[in-house]
Amino acid sequence: MSGPTFSSPMRPDESARALESEGRLVGDESIRDEADGAGSQDAASVARAAMDAEAAEVATTRGRRWTLPKDADPNVPLLVVENLRTYFTLESGTVKAVDGVSFTLRHGEALGIAGESGCGKTTTALSLVRILPSNGKVVEGSIKLMGIDLVGKSEKALRRYRWRQISIVFQGAMNALNPVQRVRDQIAEPIEERLNQSPDVARRRAGELLELVGIPRERGKAYPHELSGGMRQRAMIAMALACDPAIVIGDEPTTALDVMVQAQILQLLEDLRHKLGLSLVLITHDLSVIAETCDRVMMMYAGRVAEEGPVSEVFGRPRHPYTQKLLAAFPNIHADRRTLDVIPGSPPDLRDPPPGCRFAPRCSFAMDVCTEVVPPEVTFDGVRVACHLYPAGSDGTPITVPPGPAVDAGVAAAPA
Amino acid sequence: MSAATTAKAPTGVWTLRARGFREFARKFARRSDGVLGFVILVFFTIMAIAPQLFVGALESAITASGDGLGPPSMTHILGTDELGRDMLNLTIHGARVSMVIGLLATVITVVVGAVIGIVSGFVGGLTDSSLMRLTDFFLVLPTFVLAIILAPIILDMIGVDAEVAGLRATLVVIVIVIGITSWASTARIIRSQTLSVKERMFVDRARVIGSGNGHIMIKHVLPNVMNLIVANTVLVFAGAVFTETTLAFIGLGDPFLPSWGQLLYAAEAAGAPGLGAWWLIAPPAICVVLVILGFTLMGNALDDILNPKSGVRR
Amino acid sequence: MGGTYLLRRLVQAILTIVGIVVLNFFLFRMMPGSPERILLRNPHLTQETVDAARARWGLDEPVPVQLVKYLAATAQGDFGYSFQYRGQPVGEVIGNRMWPTIILVGIAEVIAIIFGLALGAYSGWKRGGNVDRVGNGVSLVLYSMPYFVIGMPLIIIFAAELGWFPTSGMLTPGATYASPMDQLLDFLHHLVLPLLTVSLGLIGGYSILMRSAIIETRTEDYVTTAKAKGLSENRIVRHHAFPNALLPTVTIIAINLGYVVAGVLTAEIIFNWPGLGTLTYQALSVRDFPVLQGVFLILSIAVVMANLGADLLYGVLDPRVRT
Repeated sequence: MSGPTFSSPMRPDESARALESEGRLVGDESIRDEADGAGSQDAASVARAAMDAEAAEVATTRGRRWTLPKDADPNVPLLVVENLRTYFTLESGTVKAVDGVSFTLRHGEALGIAGESGCGKTTTALSLVRILPSNGKVVEGSIKLMGIDLVGKSEKALRRYRWRQISIVFQGAMNALNPVQRVRDQIAEPIEERLNQSPDVARRRAGELLELVGIPRERGKAYPHELSGGMRQRAMIAMALACDPAIVIGDEPTTALDVMVQAQILQLLEDLRHKLGLSLVLITHDLSVIAETCDRVMMMYAGRVAEEGPVSEVFGRPRHPYTQKLLAAFPNIHADRRTLDVIPGSPPDLRDPPPGCRFAPRCSFAMDVCTEVVPPEVTFDGVRVACHLYPAGSDGTPITVPPGPAVDAGVAAAPA
Repeated sequence: MSAATTAKAPTGVWTLRARGFREFARKFARRSDGVLGFVILVFFTIMAIAPQLFVGALESAITASGDGLGPPSMTHILGTDELGRDMLNLTIHGARVSMVIGLLATVITVVVGAVIGIVSGFVGGLTDSSLMRLTDFFLVLPTFVLAIILAPIILDMIGVDAEVAGLRATLVVIVIVIGITSWASTARIIRSQTLSVKERMFVDRARVIGSGNGHIMIKHVLPNVMNLIVANTVLVFAGAVFTETTLAFIGLGDPFLPSWGQLLYAAEAAGAPGLGAWWLIAPPAICVVLVILGFTLMGNALDDILNPKSGVRR
Repeated sequence: MGGTYLLRRLVQAILTIVGIVVLNFFLFRMMPGSPERILLRNPHLTQETVDAARARWGLDEPVPVQLVKYLAATAQGDFGYSFQYRGQPVGEVIGNRMWPTIILVGIAEVIAIIFGLALGAYSGWKRGGNVDRVGNGVSLVLYSMPYFVIGMPLIIIFAAELGWFPTSGMLTPGATYASPMDQLLDFLHHLVLPLLTVSLGLIGGYSILMRSAIIETRTEDYVTTAKAKGLSENRIVRHHAFPNALLPTVTIIAINLGYVVAGVLTAEIIFNWPGLGTLTYQALSVRDFPVLQGVFLILSIAVVMANLGADLLYGVLDPRVRT
């Protein structure tokens, strides 16, 4: 990880620790002991000599130096999710929250996952590192992180990847931070526990991370309730970076914040992404956030992917009726319409979803086939769509959905 | 607009009963602990209402049917006490005493607690802070010792010959004393709920119409805290039986109309534990524990169903 | 920690105690018969004692004056004279019986806090597991048992039948000891069953409390964050779940102290443990009101102080309260 601390010459044992703390040596925690014995002056060569031979492949991406985990394949995309299905078992039935979701995340990319509440975006994110509640389970699919399938791993094996390769910034950081622990201790915790650093090193590193996100180091002593909402979110970001992960997932990271702070946080995420070469997954229902920060966007509906592709394409020439409706539902300050598009109806009950396309009940273009056959995913010009309007072999020209039953914006705003 | 708006206001458990009683029953049936509690309580309620289904009339020292401190035998399945009375007989009749005292005490506790809780929470201001001071005071007191001190005072007040619901003065005293010392906890809980109900809009709407405080409290607040009151009542019942047993055990009971606690008091006085006369202790003890356990299980189940907390599983 | 918060709680505590003394004052006057007649009815009081009491409490003077004098006398430790103990000052009577109770309750609380909270935390965390099903079931049953109901079977089985422990008392009556160690051993021998009784009763309640607190905490976002951090389960419970679950638990434990008092008193009775419990039992049977009121006052003070202590402890545990 770039930064003054690690690029300046240091003592040999410190350098090995530093490289270890860069979170590279997954699966090998004994590095420090070996490094302590070395006496060479050259920090890099000492560190390399101390590294486990199997894990010695070093990859460089956009200025980052990091070592791949033992079984990692440097030639594949960073994250490949295929046909993910996550179900929750309730007393009243099984909720098919994520039902056949696939996507790819490349190095340094920012992918936005958008959709209404309950469409499965958060569950998808939690499924990646399997931090689901006890009634949730990944029943099918593969999650390949650098070529390593996480789905088949045991809980103990999976734990190694948490936070060190994939970390999460949760929504509403008031509750996501432990109220009785100081902020800097929470940031230092994964450094100490997962990277085996001493408490002093960990705390120092935590201080650096705080400064990186724009929080004065001394504020680290505070408890979460003593910080403002924006600062708490920054602290969460600092915490997410503690082990220098490859992927940071933001689950509605700005939803609870006011617009000004929201802009600052998004800017921060952008800066960090470019500075550190991070890959980002941003989950939100706010399309404008995705439009600002993401390279690609995946629209989800009722546990499935509706449309996925580069942001400019998907937002500029939306194909799927749901995408079009969602875009139209966002008030546009420049538009001359004074009416809001509202999508009639509500998302289906995922315990008993409708056969075929799940959006069909609310779609103005629904055809007979839509209620019978699940639409296959077809790719046009880099955009993946799952809609019977765009079958395989068609030319993929977007079909514009007419504005649906509109609600007069004036009446809608008045209190009921 | 006004009439329609008031009519639309949700009314807590009344609505629940009208529309969703079957839903409630289904949820309750899934709670094995609640069902167990319910079965236990039905059993003991039958025992309390109709002891003659099980045994003859309550034996007294005069009509004792056996020899003193006889262990269980063919004629006396649960043995006899120190006066020769059949333990099975005494235990079954004890159900009525314990349950009736428990019921009456619970009524007092819940009524007083709910009234104070709702008034305090709704009216607010000085009334609220003074009532809460009082409530906190009672919460801190070791009410058990207070009950002991109050008993003779109240006995003096109501007169030794008073009788209510077939209970003689000593037992009426226990009812009153439990009521006086147990309301505080209920008041706190109800007040808390009242405060959150108060926040909701429809109460403001009713006020705008010009309804008086009393009207609002009865018509709007009360139905919405009813769920909580119901769950709380069952738990209070458990506490009342618990307290009654303890007070009787310490000597405040009635030897002529023995509750289970009184039977345990008599057992202790006769030196039963040291003598190993377990049949004097086990029947009333087991009954007490079963009833308290039953109420507690059912109360917890009801509380979980009627007042789902926001511990949502994501 | 906030100095004003402390001060406020201290003032509240003092006011509560004053309130209890005032309550005692009026209770005494509500006894059947007037205070004087009750005092004079006691054949054990000497005339001097009666005169002194009359003067100290101003029994001939108007009620407000009496109240003030009563408050002053109580503050100086004058709690009246016992009926059954030949006019011995109540303070003395109680003082003699305090230590056995303090020892019993003190040790039992320590045991119960350690084992009860641990059992509750484990049960709640591994909800539905074997430990939970057994542990929670047992705790519920214990919680539903008045302490003397817990103790009586213990006496029957371990004292009467098996004879491992004495059935009653704190020391063997009439025993002589070769050394202080022997006396201590005899004391401990007598302590086991009462201690076990009170401890089991407390463990039942604390375990249930902690269990539901941990279950609530388990669904909190910061626990999910801790899990996402890849921390060991041990660490998640010890550093994230447990400290937060402790907060409501401590509060409720403090609120329930009054009930614990009742339980301990009855437990003492069945073991004839010479503490405040048996004192209350005896005082009740002879209607020795001064002693009863003295016990009431002492126990109230103890509960108020304990509540205050719990408040302070809460301030230590929860940084949100400190400002």
